[in-house]
Amino acid sequence: MTKEKKLSITIDNRKVAVKPNITILQAAREHNIYIPSLCTLEPLPSYGACRLCIVEVDGLRGFPTSCTTPVDDGMVVRTDTAEIRTLRQEVLKLLLSEHPASCLFCTEHDECKDYQGTIRKVGVTTGCRYCPNDSLCELQTITEKIGLTETSYPVYYRGFPVEKSDPFYDRDYNLCILCGRCVRVCNDIRMNGTLSFKERGKQTTIGAALDRTHLDAGCEFCGACVSVCPTGALSTKVSKWYGKPDGETKTTCVYCPVGCELLLQIKNNETIDVFPNYDSTIDQGLLCVKGRFAIPEYVASPERLATPQRMTPLGYEDISWDDAIDEAAEKLSGINPEDVLIVVSPQLTNEDLFVAERFARELIGTDQIMSVLITDMREETVSFLNLASASSPFNVIDTADTILTIGFDSTYGFTPIGIKIKKAAKAGVNLTTLSVHESNLDIVSGETFQMNVTKWPALLDSIMGKMPGNGKGTKLKPLNKVVVIGAEVIFSPKRGAVFEKIVEMKDRFGWKVIVAHPYTNLMGLLAMGAFPGIKRGEIVSDGTKSTGPAVEDPLSAMDLARHRKVVYLIGEVPFENLPECDFLIYQNALSVKSTRKPDLVLPSSLFTELSGTIISAEGRILPIRKATDPYGKSMPDWQIISKISEKIKSGALKYSSISAIQTDIKKQVKSLSDVKKRLEFRKISAKTSGKGRTGKRLSDPKSSRKPWEEKYRGIALKDVVSGMLVIEERRRHE
Amino acid sequence: MPETIEAIFKKHGRTSDELIPILQDVQKEFGYIAQESLKKISRYLKLSENLVFGVASFYTQFRFTEPGKHAVKVCLGTACHVRGGSTLLDTLERGLGISCGETTEDRRFDLERVACLGCCALSPVVQIDRDIYSRMSVNRLTELLKKYE
Ligand code: SF4
Ligand code: SF4
Ligand code: FES
Repeated sequence: MTKEKKLSITIDNRKVAVKPNITILQAAREHNIYIPSLCTLEPLPSYGACRLCIVEVDGLRGFPTSCTTPVDDGMVVRTDTAEIRTLRQEVLKLLLSEHPASCLFCTEHDECKDYQGTIRKVGVTTGCRYCPNDSLCELQTITEKIGLTETSYPVYYRGFPVEKSDPFYDRDYNLCILCGRCVRVCNDIRMNGTLSFKERGKQTTIGAALDRTHLDAGCEFCGACVSVCPTGALSTKVSKWYGKPDGETKTTCVYCPVGCELLLQIKNNETIDVFPNYDSTIDQGLLCVKGRFAIPEYVASPERLATPQRMTPLGYEDISWDDAIDEAAEKLSGINPEDVLIVVSPQLTNEDLFVAERFARELIGTDQIMSVLITDMREETVSFLNLASASSPFNVIDTADTILTIGFDSTYGFTPIGIKIKKAAKAGVNLTTLSVHESNLDIVSGETFQMNVTKWPALLDSIMGKMPGNGKGTKLKPLNKVVVIGAEVIFSPKRGAVFEKIVEMKDRFGWKVIVAHPYTNLMGLLAMGAFPGIKRGEIVSDGTKSTGPAVEDPLSAMDLARHRKVVYLIGEVPFENLPECDFLIYQNALSVKSTRKPDLVLPSSLFTELSGTIISAEGRILPIRKATDPYGKSMPDWQIISKISEKIKSGALKYSSISAIQTDIKKQVKSLSDVKKRLEFRKISAKTSGKGRTGKRLSDPKSSRKPWEEKYRGIALKDVVSGMLVIEERRRHE
Repeated sequence: MPETIEAIFKKHGRTSDELIPILQDVQKEFGYIAQESLKKISRYLKLSENLVFGVASFYTQFRFTEPGKHAVKVCLGTACHVRGGSTLLDTLERGLGISCGETTEDRRFDLERVACLGCCALSPVVQIDRDIYSRMSVNRLTELLKKYE
């Protein structure tokens, strides 16, 4: 495209230069000229429903809507004449004739404001609260701006029952003004298609086919509709009556390795809601249900641990941090490294993992840093790591000419990846989906295969057979083939054979791989060396050599059948196959229901309460930012470990701030110092050890057949977030 | 034996502008748009079921429940209304135990209201299937329904 020339137009007697191909409304906004509008919202396509943005344009008949009229050179526009003002008031009155208006027009309106503060048992204000959107409502703002103080039409109340049967948000379509924002965001931005206009005329409503619930209609519960709704029609269940947040903190989601940007909404030092950031370069604001809705309930869970506790014959007793640290230090100091097992969660921050790794290797002297992915992936751990560390950035999907998804479904997770794939498929890219159960991408795929995992390797062979490089096909075409693998294969007991095929596709045929796994900071865990056989910084490529460490099969190296004196769980819960031990330290944020009762409980802070970084699946170093104070007496994990270390050996791992750790990380892990760059990782390969298996063979855990569930720090989201239970049940019955 | 939905698809391309023609053909063949058809159309055109429903529900010509054996239409145009059309409708609603737009449980009757059948001189008018009954009264109506088993 040639460089576009600016056009010159006149708005309200001001000559302004504007870009071509934009609307009058956009031009006016760029020059800070206010035109009221309700239905337009960037980045949604214009719609022209509310008629509030009408203007006068010389040479055009009537009053065109500025949100749908493109600018033209020499155009003369008036946005605020007396006639337009009257018309807008009339339009607004008509609009409000179907919208309960008690919050807009009230003779006590102004006086009321002065008397709302009150002293009662709880810190609330008096005044009417008919609608959860009060004080956040665009309709209120517009009514004020347009200067409407009363209406001459009776208000027709449509009397729809409020829809409360779906998880996460309620819908009161009596408040809906049919602006269509939710329909557009659902279809055009999220590519989901749950919402549409139904019926016509005054019967028109928004919703899913045949009065189905949103759950049944394929809703992802991304909450995009709730964020864009200008009225109180759509509202988040948990935060609807909180009113206006008093602060916002931009941070990173820790529920999966996509690392979406989150705008935490804070009120009274609590995280009450989470909004997407449509300007994010990582996720384009396309959060999934977990990031959007599963955080406030988790961080404010009644299960949160507030104080350290010690097991006594009479049950748990609260103890002071000093006593707790003393007790942990006493059990761990001078212990034979063989007798300790340290377990870290791949959902900790880099800083936590760095301190945990130094604690294990330098202070205790053990290489046995356990994480659940080892018992999840079992014998396939190394090939899993090989694939995960070779994962490509998500934007390879944008330029792909062939996409294959294997056991991948993006309804309730990895939505930024899923939506990229849907966009590509709609644009004509060849998409093949392979899964056991129906996938949400099937509807846009060219070819759909639904079959048992055991049949997948053969199918993948045949797909590879079609590839250039095998004698067939056009050899000249650059390879832009992307394979995305999801939970159905990662958590299948038969994954080994499929992994092998995917490695072959990658290494021999040049497929780019994206692994949609749930271990949020897996790359950080590996980079910090918090994994048996991998040294700190070893896997981060500095561009010189591409082969990384060869590791011994971690599952047998870990020898979980052997009894330990102390097991120290950091951000993890007792898992199946946890070794028998004399003393169990449980350091986590929520209490756990397990038959293995911890002897010492240390309360950790959660990611909304601390600062740090994680490394996403794309190799980006992303910031976690503190939004609220730590819960109760909880402390960040690194701080607890550091305090225990201090007791064991003074000065060994003394950190008093997150920046001190970060300075150390940069010193020790050289390639991590350039935080702007996307990190590349070296290939992890399996070491074929000469000696046979040590120790007893682990029994096959039943969990490998249990369906996989969404977890954070070992706790299933469904156990703490009520809506996630509904989602998890649905996933299971599909 | 109606044509299968797959046979209908063969006559249409897979672009979204084929949606209404496909809906029309399905409605004609099956008498209504069943849930199963909705799903198949959605898959064929790669549009969500909700969107397909949204479009279809805009037009009164499409229905989503299996039609009854006989379609009873009561005219409520101006002339019929003045001469007691709504009493006829009330009678039918009570007699059949359904409201306007529904189908009786035994699937014998569909009840609908129409705006004008174009024979105002004969008002009030009721149409059952293809027959028009003029100058209806509540008594005659009750008798009449017995004829339709
Ligand atoms: S629910 Fe909200 S966003 Fe959707 S059409 Fe109604 S007012 Fe607009
Ligand atoms: S896709 Fe992953 S990072 Fe994004 S909101 Fe969902 S869980 Fe969080
Ligand atoms: S903003 Fe233009 S019609 Fe609503």
